Amino acid sequence: MPHCTPEELALAALREPLPDDAAAHLAGCASCTGEVSRLRRAVDVLAVPELADPGPPVAPPPALWAGIAAATGVATAPRPGVVAASAPPADPVPDVPPAPLVPAARPEPGPVAPVVPLRPRRSRLLLAAAAALVVGLGIGAGAVALSGRDDDGVAVAEAVLDPLEDSGASGSAAVVEREDGTRVLRVELAADAPPEGYYEAWLLTESVTGLVPLGVVRPGTEDFQLPAGLDLGEYPVVDVSVEPLDGDPAHSGLSVARGQLS
Amino acid sequence: MDTVAEPAPYGAAEPDDDEVARRFAAGDEQALAWAYERYAARVHGMAVRAFGPGPDAEDVTQQVFVSAWTGRAGYRPEQGPLPAWLTGVCRHKIADTWARRDRQRRAAEAALAEAQSPVAGPAPVDATVADRVLLLGELDRLGQPQRGIIELAFFADLTHTQIAERTGLPLGTVKSHIRRTLERLRDRLEVDGAALHA
Repeated sequence: MPHCTPEELALAALREPLPDDAAAHLAGCASCTGEVSRLRRAVDVLAVPELADPGPPVAPPPALWAGIAAATGVATAPRPGVVAASAPPADPVPDVPPAPLVPAARPEPGPVAPVVPLRPRRSRLLLAAAAALVVGLGIGAGAVALSGRDDDGVAVAEAVLDPLEDSGASGSAAVVEREDGTRVLRVELAADAPPEGYYEAWLLTESVTGLVPLGVVRPGTEDFQLPAGLDLGEYPVVDVSVEPLDGDPAHSGLSVARGQLS
Repeated sequence: MDTVAEPAPYGAAEPDDDEVARRFAAGDEQALAWAYERYAARVHGMAVRAFGPGPDAEDVTQQVFVSAWTGRAGYRPEQGPLPAWLTGVCRHKIADTWARRDRQRRAAEAALAEAQSPVAGPAPVDATVADRVLLLGELDRLGQPQRGIIELAFFADLTHTQIAERTGLPLGTVKSHIRRTLERLRDRLEVDGAALHA
């Protein structure tokens, strides 16, 4: 049995499995084993979890930028809301929320809550472009009535809105297609008025990386006009959030109810 | 006020990541703010993973952006995306922080030893900590595609087969780059690593 090739020794140093014959040779050959351990030192020094590719993002505290501005002298600044919204909390909620999402034992909502996608504002801009592209290709025209005729249209998709984070909010949503081809999202929300701010309705992608703001929703029933051409296959998740009155149009990250249209 | 913050106007079309990278390299200050908006949470996530939340992680994140900005001449957009480069800078800052802590530990131990027994030698350097700084520097000297390949092996935990799939390079090419890079790092450790620890 010949010695292992240099390539095999390198792969062994990375702890990759070798072909059977090479592995058998390596096990009994001091020379090859010695070379693997020399090569492996670099692997053990660098391939440590702390240096691995980035894991879950964590929004840095807002004050951190000041030090960067001071050290670099730049006069620009990131928008704090965008930075804060670029990371979910340490306790992540699954991205795809078809089932009721009630995370176990999360005593109080963190400063940033689970659903904010990366850079919501940009996603929204992308979305605008995407929506423009799919005009006329939406599911509206050919959709089959799922639950019969409403008084002013046909419900073509429905969702049950389940509470998030023990919010106590729940409800339902339906996409209603009217005779002229326009669609509305009808949201029925059962919730107490929020202690501060207001509720806002959104449509999200399943991965929660894109979102469409629909507007202010109060407990009770509200209709929201859907943008023409919006592909509900792409934005199938109905989300209700609490938004502070801070003038920032981005999603606050504090969702109270969610459900998937089907 | 020393600095006047100028947030980007709402509603202004934002450039894509490539454009941000290009403008960052060109020294456009707005690009630093955009890069921070987009990548600070990734960088800070790495720092928090290494040091836990708190001052050490915050220092690392701050240093990454400061030194990325001041060292932007070393970033070449054609060599890879900006966030990947920032990740590399972050690895250096994490390793530097470990090394600094090690120096502080040795200084403290030396002071203690001095007090207890004046004949005791200096506390030993943590060889792994020093090697890490050395080898991260060596990675910076690798060209592409060698660097990208070994980073996928070390930091993304991909097998050589997965790396070949990811990069589209032939399997044999990937294997031979891995071998040559590991041999290079081995030599660096055995020559300079030993001198460093002596």
